[in-house]
Amino acid sequence: MALTTRDRARLSLGIQAGLFVAVLIALLFIMDWSAIHRSFFDIERIGPMFPDIITVGLVNTLQYTAVGFVLGLLGGTVLALMKLSSFPVYRWLATAYIEFFRGIPAILVFLALGFGVSIAFGWNLTSLQIAGSALGLVASAYIAETLRAGLQAVPKGQVEAARALGMPAWRAMVSIQIPQAFRIVLPPLTNEAILLTKDSSLIFVVGLTAGAAELTKFGRDGINIYQAGLTPLVAAGACYLIITVPLSILARRMEHRSPRKK
Amino acid sequence: MTEPELAEHSSAEDGPAGVTITGLHKAYGDNEVLKGIDMSVRPGEVVCLIGASGSGKSTLLRCVNRLEDPNAGTITVGSFEATDPDVDLDAMRRHIGMVFQQFNLFPHLSVLENCTITPRRVLKQPKEDAEAEAMTQLRRVGLEELAQRRPDQLSGGQQQRVAIARALTMRPALMLFDEPTSALDPETVGDVLAIMRQLAEAGMTMIVVTHEMAFAREVADRVVFMDQGRVVEEGPAAEVIGDPQQPRTQDFLRRVLNPTDVDIRD
Ligand SMILES: Nc1ncnc2c1ncn2[C@@H]1O[C@H](COP(=O)(O)OP(=O)(O)O)[C@@H](O)[C@H]1O
Ligand SMILES: [Mg+2]
Repeated sequence: MALTTRDRARLSLGIQAGLFVAVLIALLFIMDWSAIHRSFFDIERIGPMFPDIITVGLVNTLQYTAVGFVLGLLGGTVLALMKLSSFPVYRWLATAYIEFFRGIPAILVFLALGFGVSIAFGWNLTSLQIAGSALGLVASAYIAETLRAGLQAVPKGQVEAARALGMPAWRAMVSIQIPQAFRIVLPPLTNEAILLTKDSSLIFVVGLTAGAAELTKFGRDGINIYQAGLTPLVAAGACYLIITVPLSILARRMEHRSPRKK
Repeated sequence: MTEPELAEHSSAEDGPAGVTITGLHKAYGDNEVLKGIDMSVRPGEVVCLIGASGSGKSTLLRCVNRLEDPNAGTITVGSFEATDPDVDLDAMRRHIGMVFQQFNLFPHLSVLENCTITPRRVLKQPKEDAEAEAMTQLRRVGLEELAQRRPDQLSGGQQQRVAIARALTMRPALMLFDEPTSALDPETVGDVLAIMRQLAEAGMTMIVVTHEMAFAREVADRVVFMDQGRVVEEGPAAEVIGDPQQPRTQDFLRRVLNPTDVDIRD
């Protein structure tokens, strides 16, 4: 029996759909749906988590992330310029920094800032200071590489044209190279913001007071408080998605609207 | 920018600059691209630089405004000693306009902003003055209605005309053109050449790298033929193009003027 290519494609699609329906039906019968409801979606019992999980948890997560991102942008810009510098010592220092912070787990940086700094220097840092600077230190390393690649992606002729008009090197960089690099790096920077949002949860390793609690802390404490199984974690996860999914859509839009030609 | 530099800039309006090149050498690693070039261009003169691809024409042009650093030799442009290690390169470049084969307009800026960014940011001209001057130059190249467009909304020929206008807003005393029509669709070449001809007639000093022999013949005061990093022949356009003396010049012109002959000779 000779099957045409189209018959074969239709058959393959039919088999896949059949399998999917079979698994679905099996799950319906096997799974204990009331247990799943109790463990993951017991919304009634976690009612008291609201509105604090939004007004405190989500807001704190956003704050830690925002401070980390801004510090990361500043540090990343400096490191990227150091990496592109003609002075070799700057290049080595920037490379060492970037390799170090990309190579160690972010949780070590949180622990170092949360416990190490107060032991070593006797400073008492707030949760915002710890989370912001820990995220900023790590993000600087990643953002530096993104910015460097973006600057180098601007065609050489652009800076040459600017210099030929009589712009000093710094002016060509500020007015011509950086604005064009900025468009190139917006999508990867948005992805970096998503990673930072999730990494802000690491602050819970150093302990948080009630006012400083962010989403993960809310989720974890909720497990003990509400007797609703893992439902508080699901709620926390949903809150993260409220932040990260729009960012992700934004990044994809910007990638599609890539203006570069030539 | 300091006051003396501003004063220096206004001196560009005194008139076109001459260029003197002596003993110019340039190598990339072991590859010696310019092997001792001597050449001079009088103020207001139009010189067309012709020669096969790879003969060093672009490199020579780029040494004049020091986008490339020569290994030896001297270049003077007007009152500027281009090869002096202490020369103020930015100030010198403000007197020298350059037009590239690939236009190199700034894609993130409008046509008008392309023309005003350097006058405003470097010469610190007030916005209104810079825009008035930019519109004057855009009118000169016939594109004032497109002032608010982005470069990517323009045809190649229009982009190149904007690039010329952008260079002119700096009131240069010398214009360098590196194959300004080589990347253009044939039907837009004429507009760009017409503007260059007007500029020549207005008395601008111009060094033009081109393969447009008809343009060279009609507009150039002098034609310089380069081959493998050396000036092989130079003289009035009618002589070099119409009656070349050197075998290499004859050979090159035959190829350019009758491209279909190439296969037979090779
Ligand atoms: N930046 C560069 N690095 C190395 N070699 C170069 C560079 N620019 C030009 N060259 C070489 O110099 C020679 C002359 O190039 P160019 O001046 O562009 O010639 P033309 O403009 O006459 O075609 C070529 O062999 C080219 O490969
Ligand atoms: Mg060339």
